[in-house]
Amino acid sequence: MEDLGITVIKVVFIWTWVLLIATLMTWVERRGSAMMQDRLGPNRAGPFGLLQPVADGIKLFTKEDIVPEKAQKILFSLGPVLFALPAFSAYAVVPFGDKLVLDGKEIILQVADVNIGFLYIVALGGLAVYGMVVGGWGSNNKYSILGGLRSTAQLISYEVPFGIVLLAVVMVFGTFSLREISLAQQGTFLGFLPNWGVFKQPLGFILFMTAAYAEANRVPFDLPEAESEIVAGYHTEYGSMRLGLYLFGEYVNLYTLAALTVTLFFGAWHLPYLDMSHFLGPISYGIASFLVFFLKTAFFLWLFVWIRWTVPRFRYDQVMGLGWKALIPLSLVNLFVTALIIQLTV
Amino acid sequence: MSGFEAIVIYLGMSLLVVFLMLAASAALGPFRPAPGKATTYECGVPLLDPGQKRYDVKYYLVAVLFLVFDLETILIYPLAVNYTKFAASGWLIFFEIFIFVAVLLIGLLYAIKKRAIDWE
Repeated sequence: MEDLGITVIKVVFIWTWVLLIATLMTWVERRGSAMMQDRLGPNRAGPFGLLQPVADGIKLFTKEDIVPEKAQKILFSLGPVLFALPAFSAYAVVPFGDKLVLDGKEIILQVADVNIGFLYIVALGGLAVYGMVVGGWGSNNKYSILGGLRSTAQLISYEVPFGIVLLAVVMVFGTFSLREISLAQQGTFLGFLPNWGVFKQPLGFILFMTAAYAEANRVPFDLPEAESEIVAGYHTEYGSMRLGLYLFGEYVNLYTLAALTVTLFFGAWHLPYLDMSHFLGPISYGIASFLVFFLKTAFFLWLFVWIRWTVPRFRYDQVMGLGWKALIPLSLVNLFVTALIIQLTV
Repeated sequence: MSGFEAIVIYLGMSLLVVFLMLAASAALGPFRPAPGKATTYECGVPLLDPGQKRYDVKYYLVAVLFLVFDLETILIYPLAVNYTKFAASGWLIFFEIFIFVAVLLIGLLYAIKKRAIDWE
């Protein structure tokens, strides 16, 4: 058991880090979109427009906090809080590096290495539904309510394949702890591949990514806020920092999902064919594992932007059909095949 | 202990920051009520009907289906985490999971056939 002080430092550090990267991600997304569409994007605030997120933040903070007269005040104010809390807290069980040895004391680079890490993530992902549906319903606007209902139906539909794919991953690694899963991905698999989850669960990885994009309400699954159909979905009526909480929450979710992808399928902090702990000192190894983990995560964050301008938005019946008629049966098949292979090779 | 107190600290941090953000926004933002400012958004035209009315029953069906499948997932989790151990001692757990999943898959096929998840 570690000191309380170290735990608090870790919590404050990773909490701030996640929010900082999520803020920066808004800039990356806008500049990346601009790059792909051959325009400039935000480039006035600071070098390369890097201070744009700060300007956006100040603007959100200093806007008037309007509550529509028809809205149900309590639900309306509760919505953003219910959405932001699980989003901000989900990172607690995801590792961000291996370990750091300071003065002979080993500091694990993960806030909480709990034995039900998986269930915590799935549970908090499910709770995000409340923020959307409560906010949408409380706004008492038909676009908000439609957006809230759509997002609820979509999120819970994709929660099922998400959970079943994670089952297969749990079967392969035999643990719920995300740190143990990361540690198990060192070395090589079948003699020549890195020992990463993606090579043991190739179908699982594709299903996981699809479900993750739907969970995060990202293009091509951004139906809840399809601006051409229902204005801005469940946050149509929101302004000021209440809107800010919804937007921040979404970007923090992206970071958590990207980090989860790296942890489960891309070897966490391990480099392929190379064991960094052999030739790096205890402190530099800790920092290197953090950087490797972050670079992998950054790639998956970029993938969110990349896919946004590659795939067009689905129709709503296509989204629901894909979830129930393709992803769930396929994830059950994946589970079955995984169980069969483990049974035959054990 | 297994790190749950760290999760509590993390949740506390989230709660604190969320309320600080809302409080700062309420303190920094102006308050200038004006007629028409707080009307429900409807592209500028007068509001015809309330937002809260009856919606498609399909959403309810999806929720019920979700409950069944989510419970299924949760029920298999304990089996999955110990699966390698069970597999070493024979095929019993494999067939148990297989039958359990097959029953639910038949249920899903029935729901699809009854067009419970067709949206048009």
